[in-house]
Amino acid sequence: MSDTLTPDVIGRRVEVNGEHATVRFAGVVPPVAGPWLGVEWDNPERGKHDGSHEGTVYFKCRHPTGGSFIRPNKVNFGTDFLTAIKNRYVLEDGPEEDRKEQIVTLGNKPVETVGFDSLMKQQSQLSKLQEVSLRNCAVSCAGEKGGVAEACPNIRRVDLSKNLLSSWDEVIHIADQLRHLEVLNLSENKLKFPSGSALTGTFSALKVLVLNQTGITWAEVLRCAAWCPGLEELYLESNNIVISERPTDVLQTVKLLDLSSNQLIDENQLYLIAHLPRLEQLILSDVGISSIHFPDAGIGCKTSMFPSLQYLVVNDNQISQWSFFNELDKLPSLRALSCLRNPLTKEDKAANMTRQLIIASIGQLKTLNKCEILPKERRTAELDYRKAFGNEWKQAGGHQDPDKNRLSEEFLRAHPRYQFLCLKYGVPEDWELKTQQPFMLKNQLLTLKIKYPDQLDQKVLEKQLPDTSNQLMGMSPLWSICSRILSSDLLR
Amino acid sequence: QRECLSIHIGQAGIQIGDACWELYCLEHGIQPNGVVLDSQQDQLENAKMEHTNASFDTFFCETRAGKHVPRALFVDLEPTVIDGIRTGQHRSLFHPEQLLSGKEDAANNYARGRYSVGSKVIDLVLERTRKLAEQCGGLQGFLIFRSFGGGTGSGFTSLLMERLTGEYSRKTKLEFSVYPAPRISTAVVEPYNCVLTTHSTTEHTDCTFIVDNEAIYDICQRKLGVERPSYASINRLMVQAVSSITASLRFEGPLNVDLIEFQTNLVPYPRIHFPTTAFAPIVSADKAYREQFSVSDITTACFESSNQLVKCDPRLGKYMACCLLYRGDVVPKEVNAAIAATKSRHSVQFVDWCPTGFKVGINNQPPTVMPDGDLAKVHRAVCMLSNTTAIVEAWARLDHKFDLMYAKRAFLHWYLREGMEEAEFLEAREDLAALERDYEEVGQSF
Repeated sequence: MSDTLTPDVIGRRVEVNGEHATVRFAGVVPPVAGPWLGVEWDNPERGKHDGSHEGTVYFKCRHPTGGSFIRPNKVNFGTDFLTAIKNRYVLEDGPEEDRKEQIVTLGNKPVETVGFDSLMKQQSQLSKLQEVSLRNCAVSCAGEKGGVAEACPNIRRVDLSKNLLSSWDEVIHIADQLRHLEVLNLSENKLKFPSGSALTGTFSALKVLVLNQTGITWAEVLRCAAWCPGLEELYLESNNIVISERPTDVLQTVKLLDLSSNQLIDENQLYLIAHLPRLEQLILSDVGISSIHFPDAGIGCKTSMFPSLQYLVVNDNQISQWSFFNELDKLPSLRALSCLRNPLTKEDKAANMTRQLIIASIGQLKTLNKCEILPKERRTAELDYRKAFGNEWKQAGGHQDPDKNRLSEEFLRAHPRYQFLCLKYGVPEDWELKTQQPFMLKNQLLTLKIKYPDQLDQKVLEKQLPDTSNQLMGMSPLWSICSRILSSDLLR
Repeated sequence: QRECLSIHIGQAGIQIGDACWELYCLEHGIQPNGVVLDSQQDQLENAKMEHTNASFDTFFCETRAGKHVPRALFVDLEPTVIDGIRTGQHRSLFHPEQLLSGKEDAANNYARGRYSVGSKVIDLVLERTRKLAEQCGGLQGFLIFRSFGGGTGSGFTSLLMERLTGEYSRKTKLEFSVYPAPRISTAVVEPYNCVLTTHSTTEHTDCTFIVDNEAIYDICQRKLGVERPSYASINRLMVQAVSSITASLRFEGPLNVDLIEFQTNLVPYPRIHFPTTAFAPIVSADKAYREQFSVSDITTACFESSNQLVKCDPRLGKYMACCLLYRGDVVPKEVNAAIAATKSRHSVQFVDWCPTGFKVGINNQPPTVMPDGDLAKVHRAVCMLSNTTAIVEAWARLDHKFDLMYAKRAFLHWYLREGMEEAEFLEAREDLAALERDYEEVGQSF
């Protein structure tokens, strides 16, 4: 550890007993002798102080218990990429490893493993490796120049999440040697940006970039994107991102963008990414969004924003207005939507009604919450919608006669598809709009008052009889019942 | 050289089969018309690796024209479901002679499937089976896919299994059966069908992997965000488990598990052959890369009842045997650590008399998912097959429902009309009662 007190140790990412931290200070902390490292932990409550000790400020932390002083020999600075691969995949030469079966015991029962040794030999052929997972393997640098390119040049997919990489420089050194790299996962690393720009061609084959929980800012995202001309999928979950500028020459090939759990995003920021030409899938789960507007499109028109968006995910948000779905109808390519666990969808105990209303509000939707909308379901939903709001339509000026049809602005805004539904299924008839009494027998009974015109002292009989007037039987049952009553009376 | 014949019976079996062969084709880079994709740069990433490593002629038969035809037979007593395959996406994958349908269905009636309607079709089915078996150099055994509750799945399968034992006595027969869901029922007479078929099939099967729709339904809803899972979603999840179980047969690898090896390790007594299946990780495609699953994470998940494909609480029973089949980016070191950690984290109780607790295997073919499916593509997965005494709960449930109906002789006439006798019902019920007692006995300590 002879280099522990050189200035370049500041900013390096380290690991101590499973916890990750960034070095902020290296030097002497009187009165205790010996070298110390001041670190800021990723976990803000892990530390003892905020960088100051007995009055002197040695370094700054964002959190009052975010920092600690540690002896350099207790700190793991990590290892290089190639060594990490070898550690994980290669069988180390050693007599005890060279057994046919490794007996591990579970309680007093041995675990039988089969074929592990030949598997290990296979994996140790590094040059054949295409997919490598080095999560939490303490990788901090690329290692000797060209080492990776020589040993395992065919790697296509790398998971480098939760390692000790401290800057993009190191990442670039690794990626430079992997010409076929398609998928790169750098989640849970805190990377500094390089001063210069990357060599062109470093990430030329990269299709998928995962930067969840890295604390990256939008501006930095755009800088990364500039290095990846063919990027198709970008994952930026939990970064507290605020979209601050519109991407002009970058991100133009991106098909999938995951912005979930970035609570600072609001609907206005979405306008800035609304013109990405190839964006097909947008994941906005858990961002706290409650509404969305496409001001460039009037009622019933299609917007020019998000031209290719096919699948939108808005689970776990704050959607509580139906107008949200009316706005979504303006998206030209939207085919699938997931919107589970929102206030609007939670309060309805019969989830079916919510589902029907959403289907009816968004015309071209084919899949809702991962369930395909069959034509029959769509038809039922739209017919129910048309009927449910029929009275409102009438009150707002709707009329069977197209010449007399003058709907209020308010109604059109609340139910933009209503006119279209009328064209498709016909205008709702009056008998459809009659509010149905629940079909209980007592509601089906007519109350008959039978008067005896000749005998004034007879009280008026009141009897309840089933209303058969609109059935095939017509009035005849009524007469027969009456005659029975009257004749019995007459007999008396 | 160790070929496996898959036979798919009834609606459940056929629909699972459809999903299953679709997944196998994706894994082996076989296109819907049976031709393997050429190794080109921009082809499915899997195709490149598989082509050199695959020993998929255990499951596919290569014709002279270069087509790969599945070694499978689809049987149903009525044509609607099979017509779905005949006109579906994979119609050119199968030879028309592999898709057999009758005209009159079993109407959820074991007796019709077994006696009246089934007996008309059985000879043709056996003839086709013989044909497929002849194409095999060294047939290892059969994989039967069916449901317990349906008429064809219960009745016809019993008949077929009996005849298969007669003709191919030395071959292994494994079943993938759909057990009737505890609370979601598709037919009132399911308990009758189940009890009858279990009684008649038990002695002819070597091992039966049960899954139930309700467990998978819950998984789809809770973990995959599918609001109303359809049979398609359920089947897609189930075939991931099937694929894991058969992976070592289809891909060359260090661990080539024979069908016989499964039996030997999972089945302590001939009648105690109903292992439960669990699968991990189950991640929604919307949450790809959001959660990381290390080997220890997925191993722990397998012991949680929410990852099981059958509703049963293993904590209420004892394990007799456990197989962990890992796939993908898994290193032996991590597996050993994960298993050791499992010991401290769970009360995994084993029976006293079982010497080897766990059997572990790794296949480094990564799990494949259907494009447009609900599952996310993950780097590694594990399928756990465990023979636990807790499964007796499932049989007890079934027996209870059977008793409720049988006490009143409800719906019985449908069976008696087709030539069955009440004695058969009593016999079957007795057999299941004996099965329950067997399970209790093996679970007891010395």
